Amino acid sequence: MNAVKSTLDGFTSYRTRVGSLSFILHRLTGLGTLLFLSIHILDTSTVYFFPQLYEHAIAIYRHPVFVLQEIVLVFCVIFHGVNGARIAIFDLFQPRGWNSASQNTTALWTLGIAVVLWLPAAAIMMRNLLMHSFGWFGGA
Amino acid sequence: MAELAEQVKIPSNYEAIAWKWMRYSGLALIPLAWFHVLIQDVLVGVHHIDLDYVAMRWASLAWRGYDFLLLAFAFAHGVNGLRQVLRDYIKSDAAMRRLSWVLLGFWMLLSLIGAAAIVGGVRQP
Repeated sequence: MNAVKSTLDGFTSYRTRVGSLSFILHRLTGLGTLLFLSIHILDTSTVYFFPQLYEHAIAIYRHPVFVLQEIVLVFCVIFHGVNGARIAIFDLFQPRGWNSASQNTTALWTLGIAVVLWLPAAAIMMRNLLMHSFGWFGGA
Repeated sequence: MAELAEQVKIPSNYEAIAWKWMRYSGLALIPLAWFHVLIQDVLVGVHHIDLDYVAMRWASLAWRGYDFLLLAFAFAHGVNGLRQVLRDYIKSDAAMRRLSWVLLGFWMLLSLIGAAAIVGGVRQP
């Protein structure tokens, strides 16, 4: 990856490992959730400020493209939470546990737990989407 | 390494408090945000959410309190997280200071709008 000049032995390369992928994923899921949250505060606030607009906002959220994004959002919230718990527990209670070996193992566990928690939620949301937008499972 | 780690003194400045606060608020957000997402996105679903649903939910003071906590913790956690990410990319201290004020304003504005809606509740059109 990026070559960095080091005074000791010429050049050192930055190797992308599980820990740094986890770092990037934590930031992306966090920023994605913040983007949605900012919009979500405004759309929900219409119930007080412009109640006639709320149904329009909800209609946009019910569009299949938005429902697919919502399924991605749920993954973001779950992954960011599981990985955030990993970071918080190490930082606050086990600061000496931070090393590359424990990072690798716990980052992989984090991803696994997040996927296992997300799959049933994604399945239910997908079922709702197919039912309400495409008339599957008897429609609604 | 272990002895060295114990000698490090963490100054109790704004950034150190923000660092700790991100971890504690993050832990609090796991039940808060997850139950919110589980109930609204998965169990109820966007196809069953409308003005009457929000009115019914906010008829309970407990749910209003829950949403208020969620707004307070999640949005502040998110905006401070954005500030942390930007700090890694913006080299100029002056630009970062200006941007921090912009972020503070953005956070206050949306928090006030959200809080006003929670307190005001649903107005039937």
